[in-house]
Amino acid sequence: MSGPLAGIRIIEMGQLIAIPFAMKLLADMGAQVIRLESTGRLESYRADSVYQNDVSGEFWNKGANFYEQNRNKLGITLDLTKPEGLQVLRELIAVADVFSENFTPRVIKNFGLEYEDLKKIKPDIIMVSSTGYGFYGPWANFGATGPATEGAAGLAYQTGYLGGPPVMAEIPYTDYTSGEHTVFAVMAALMHRLRTGQGQFVDISQTQATSATIPEVLMDYSANGRSGQRMGNQDTAMSPHGCYPCRGDDRWLTMAVATDDEWQAVCRVLGQEGWAADPRFEDSLSRWKNRDELDALIGPVTSPWDAHELMHALQKEGVAAGAVLDSKDLLFDPHLNEREFYEVVTHHDSTGIPPLPYAGRPWKLSKTPAVKGKAAPLMGEHNALVLSDLLGKTAGELAALEEAGIIGYGPTNPRPVQRPSLDEQVRQGRMQRYETDFEEQVRRAFPG
Amino acid sequence: MTERALEGVKVLDLTHHIAGPYCTKLMADFGAEVLKVERPGGDPARRMAPFLHDEADPEKSLVFAYLNTNKQSVTLNLKSEKGIQVLKSLVEESDVLVENFAPKVMPSLGLDFETLHQINPSLVMTSISNFGQTGPYRDYKAADIVEYALGGLMYIFGAYDREPLKHAFNQAQFKAGTDAASATLMATYHQRLTGEGQRVDVSIQEAVATGLRDVVNNFTYTGAVRRRQPNHSGDLTRMRASADGHFLPNPGMGAGLNWDNVVDFLGLPELDDEKFNTPSARLANAEELGRILDEYFIKQNKYDIFYASHKRRFIFGVVQSPEEVMADPQFQARNYFVDIDHPALGTLKYPGAPFEMSATPWEARSPAPTLGEHNQEVIGQRLGHTPEQLAQMRAMQII
Repeated sequence: MSGPLAGIRIIEMGQLIAIPFAMKLLADMGAQVIRLESTGRLESYRADSVYQNDVSGEFWNKGANFYEQNRNKLGITLDLTKPEGLQVLRELIAVADVFSENFTPRVIKNFGLEYEDLKKIKPDIIMVSSTGYGFYGPWANFGATGPATEGAAGLAYQTGYLGGPPVMAEIPYTDYTSGEHTVFAVMAALMHRLRTGQGQFVDISQTQATSATIPEVLMDYSANGRSGQRMGNQDTAMSPHGCYPCRGDDRWLTMAVATDDEWQAVCRVLGQEGWAADPRFEDSLSRWKNRDELDALIGPVTSPWDAHELMHALQKEGVAAGAVLDSKDLLFDPHLNEREFYEVVTHHDSTGIPPLPYAGRPWKLSKTPAVKGKAAPLMGEHNALVLSDLLGKTAGELAALEEAGIIGYGPTNPRPVQRPSLDEQVRQGRMQRYETDFEEQVRRAFPG
Repeated sequence: MTERALEGVKVLDLTHHIAGPYCTKLMADFGAEVLKVERPGGDPARRMAPFLHDEADPEKSLVFAYLNTNKQSVTLNLKSEKGIQVLKSLVEESDVLVENFAPKVMPSLGLDFETLHQINPSLVMTSISNFGQTGPYRDYKAADIVEYALGGLMYIFGAYDREPLKHAFNQAQFKAGTDAASATLMATYHQRLTGEGQRVDVSIQEAVATGLRDVVNNFTYTGAVRRRQPNHSGDLTRMRASADGHFLPNPGMGAGLNWDNVVDFLGLPELDDEKFNTPSARLANAEELGRILDEYFIKQNKYDIFYASHKRRFIFGVVQSPEEVMADPQFQARNYFVDIDHPALGTLKYPGAPFEMSATPWEARSPAPTLGEHNQEVIGQRLGHTPEQLAQMRAMQII
């Protein structure tokens, strides 16, 4: 199986998540993605969250998030600050379908890599730029992180506990939101090119993509001049609707109750006949009006339950309920595993990393499934393959490029991020716990 | 006429609520022809608040209006034989069918993929559901909060010592809708090359679980289970209150942090002290550092400090209220909010292009349809039913 995107070649000048995540999903579906890296400016995900927290040796080939975001790609290094490096990139663009990048416009302009420049090299190229605030406009050159655009988009303002300040996700959330839109944008541009033969420039604003997903408040403000207050886990119509404590350390269950039948089922499962007959909770409007009281009553009753047992008991009675899965629960979740959501990837022997499961994709295509997962590239792993097979460079030319420092196989200034010991991370509260037999547990569940 | 990226792609849209309609909205806004098939009572999202002036009218739901731009609407009772017959003739002339019913619904209507595939072998059928079309939770119910919990995002979201939290609104639905639109186009691309149709199965739980950093791989790489992070008052990137709201300082991290520059930028000479000038000193004196920063930041205007930071290439962020989002000069320069005129809502500003395409721009060709607005045009003229037959279908509550 070669995937629906076999034959499409993408040159990726990405960093961190927004573009690498999107290009990974396209690579999974068969596109050939050639990822550029710099040996002088080390991609930070190569140097952080390394296997077994061990930064000795070639740590830059052991970073968890690099592997997570770069599956199925070819990797080459190029020093773009030197003219010979830029020349190789132009040669690659001349044989590519898509060029994607997520640097600030200032950087792209300095390299002479704007769409107008690329079009001269490859008239039907599709160029995708993903930036915090968009490629033009007064904020275009403002660098941005995920949290910054979560704030700018209006999402953070509405999120948070009742009466508390705004709260944001503890991941670069909008990188994913914009990455999801980037995959769609590339596909739309490819559909157009297939029909017309024309390329174009796609300008992804991570803020715009995120604001597109909160019409509930933006339309309300637009029409009624109103912005809602932060509601914690409560809903604007359903009650109970929240996250309730369960048995154990930091264990929780969510439920969302829409109808009277569902409410009666909750009372039955939790053994609360009194609630079932209580006029304060008799219909959805009264439950919603008395939602604070209701939430305060439910917590003590769910506390003795195991979160998973309560989830299954409620679902059996037709109530939307879900245990709050921690990372280990999520990895071993029987439903995700029955659906083969995780994909076991074999790493290069030199890394010492055993085969490991990684999150797959949120879609399954029956006729043209994803390709079999290959690990993200070692630094410079495909220099020779790409430059000689694709661009026809000779062994002598390759050696000259390496000699001049245009290509390489490791960072010129290797500086890993040494995380504190796991004991220290647990003491600081960053980790809930750790398990020393994790390798055995992972191997047993995901034999590969 | 403007070039449209998805020109000629015919989508039969059986979706409702949010995830499915956002998928087909993305396609419609970039040029696909989307025909929305609603039950005679209408998509339940028509009854979803907020409404214009709080008038609970099926033509005045603001979220519905946003999610259904550029689509046509016909009503069809899929529990009637005639309704199914009409639907099947629509399947014959469509490239794509998108639905987001519970997984048992389509087969129970006799509309399983195999049946539809026989009618139209090149059909791409996309199904979006809470947990996918297979597996032990297949028929479990969900709401956005349940997807956050079972998708792994909730456990690491919120305060260390409080209950986990979710984002406001319906983010999981939007993620899955976007993913479904991408996957649908991948299958449609293959269809255009080979003529072959196929089934696309999109799970909302998996849409959440695909977009996590340092979660599952913390366990597979080190055996650690990450928790909601404790909020250290000395954390330099933590959200801070300003005189007029909140903002996100970002003085650089790791090797990119130059303390002298930070002290100079903030104009706080008391921070030029060995209590604070190394990472370990800052950790040891986090509370004092946090207090100094809080006292300083609470007197600042968030936009002033945001703009000033970018002059120095510090990448600060600003937390904007809906009002501020709509007045944002960057959005204005990019014409992000667009006026759309709707028969019941009048002219309102809507969030526009989620991204820009130079050759095939996002466009608002038509507002969300009123319920059954295109019955006459589609079921009558296109499928060749006479006015009498239409009247009869209306009388039998098929349309």
